[in-house]
Amino acid sequence: MKIVVCIKQVPATGADKRYTDDLRLDRNGVEAIINPLDEYAIEQALRLVDDGTVENVTYLTMGPEQASEALRRALAMGGDDAVLVTDPALAGADEWATAKVLAAALDKLAPDVALMGMASDDARGSLVPGAVAAMRDLPLLSYGAELAVGNGAARVRRLSATGFDWITAPLPVVATVTDQVGEPRYASLKGIMAAKRKPLETWSLAEVGLSADELSGAALTRVTDARPPEAKPPTERIENVPPAEAATKIADWLAARKLI
Amino acid sequence: MRNDILFLAEFSAGKPARSALELATGAADLALQSGGVAVALAYGSGAADGASGLGAHGARRAIVLGDEDRPAITYAAVAVAAVRDADALALLAPATPNGRDLAAALVGTLHVPAFGPVRAARVTDGVLETEQATLQGNVITTARPTDGAPTPSIALVLANTFTPVEGNTGSAEVTQTPDAAESAFSRATVAESHEADAKVVNLEEATVIVAGGRGVGGEGGFGPLRDLAGALGGAVGASRAAADAGWIPYQLQIGQTGKVVKPALYIGAGISGAIQHRVGMQSAEHVIAINRDPDAPIGDFADLFVVGDLFQIVPALTEEIHRRKGTEGA
Repeated sequence: MKIVVCIKQVPATGADKRYTDDLRLDRNGVEAIINPLDEYAIEQALRLVDDGTVENVTYLTMGPEQASEALRRALAMGGDDAVLVTDPALAGADEWATAKVLAAALDKLAPDVALMGMASDDARGSLVPGAVAAMRDLPLLSYGAELAVGNGAARVRRLSATGFDWITAPLPVVATVTDQVGEPRYASLKGIMAAKRKPLETWSLAEVGLSADELSGAALTRVTDARPPEAKPPTERIENVPPAEAATKIADWLAARKLI
Repeated sequence: MRNDILFLAEFSAGKPARSALELATGAADLALQSGGVAVALAYGSGAADGASGLGAHGARRAIVLGDEDRPAITYAAVAVAAVRDADALALLAPATPNGRDLAAALVGTLHVPAFGPVRAARVTDGVLETEQATLQGNVITTARPTDGAPTPSIALVLANTFTPVEGNTGSAEVTQTPDAAESAFSRATVAESHEADAKVVNLEEATVIVAGGRGVGGEGGFGPLRDLAGALGGAVGASRAAADAGWIPYQLQIGQTGKVVKPALYIGAGISGAIQHRVGMQSAEHVIAINRDPDAPIGDFADLFVVGDLFQIVPALTEEIHRRKGTEGA
């Protein structure tokens, strides 16, 4: 049983983020991390290794060369090997182009489960997993609070409007998991040392069987403007007053805005 | 028609979701700009009987993809066939797990542009133009399809981006559902369904939300929050810390990995305001925070920050609201 965990390198959660003049994410001087929600996918895959269900875990990412750091960090948590797809033609890739590249790389890697986090910290579209499933003609098991594999099938426990369902599909599948799978493990010093010796391959676009032409310039969308959010009026504060007075002031505030 | 605007209309438990009404109105707005009509792709229990009723909110036509409550992705094959047939300019999908899954299947099958989650959408120069808060709200971007990109452009739309109009005359004409080939997506099936112990409301539909976090201290601490929500006609939500602690069901979690809400009024009690929670509620029209810690991050972005003990202030506020409304409980 083999799992490929797709991860994305993103700017650190608290980092000061901006766009460059050509309307792309400015990566200069911004600390980069594994997308926090992808760490839950890594954790889920490694738990399936721990319980003996899965033999091999490969990490896959698409990004600039420095995205290999994210792969090394993932390998330090566990798993066997990693692949970085990088190519100058991929700069500015949108979700469609990203899905196309990942789908092509996954065709080569042919895992039983292609596993991803439920969303990325920066873009938050959550469209890549479903698009990859469509491109590879595989079932999608999404938003799993837990992933189980066995007997030629995968299942996820997924929150429903009023409870939860177990959704199942025959392998191979594309699956995504949420932060309910359990807290991601820390990399041990031993793990960090071992990660340095684990195989990490770099593939170009041609090596996954795609040409720049097929990617329509890496995007079907383009950003035409990027600007700071509208300035909000400063926060009003109520402090150092007894609770009853605070309650009256809050009610006045609500009434002034016709909220009561 | 090339100028029509499609939208995904989710039904559940026999009724249209609020997102279906909002997107009917949004799609009708966009259709006015493009010179086409709004067309619903309806799915979920109640869709077969209720799709024509979307006419009251702006839809001119409706196609029923399926009439059962199950993960929307299992309707992907028929959705693809319907979208191919419709040959529309754009498609609006709710930025919910079901809406995202179905949108993703369409993007991956039809190789069309995808945007989202967006907080505004319009037709400009004959194409879909969207506005999105990205990089955790640090940047607002405007985006369009590249020149010559195939249609429809697909946008994930946040809750409350459009306000549903009521009382349009006429009903949406329900047209024949196209035949669809088998697809891999239909190989995913529901093996088991479990109901939660307590009835949970859909926070995405709430116009007032009173949310509690770690500072609420326990399951019982949500009692005063429920009373306040009751007085305001709203619903109770929570931060991830409160859901992880088991004080409240995960269906009521607000944030990056829970619900993204946009109520008219959000009151956060005992919530520090970590970025992961913030991205789930920062679009609320009015934000009040009640916290003992004068330096809590939520104080930086709330409209009104009340420093104090929520267990004293929340009951006092509930009583004050009842007194002013002249309702029970004063």
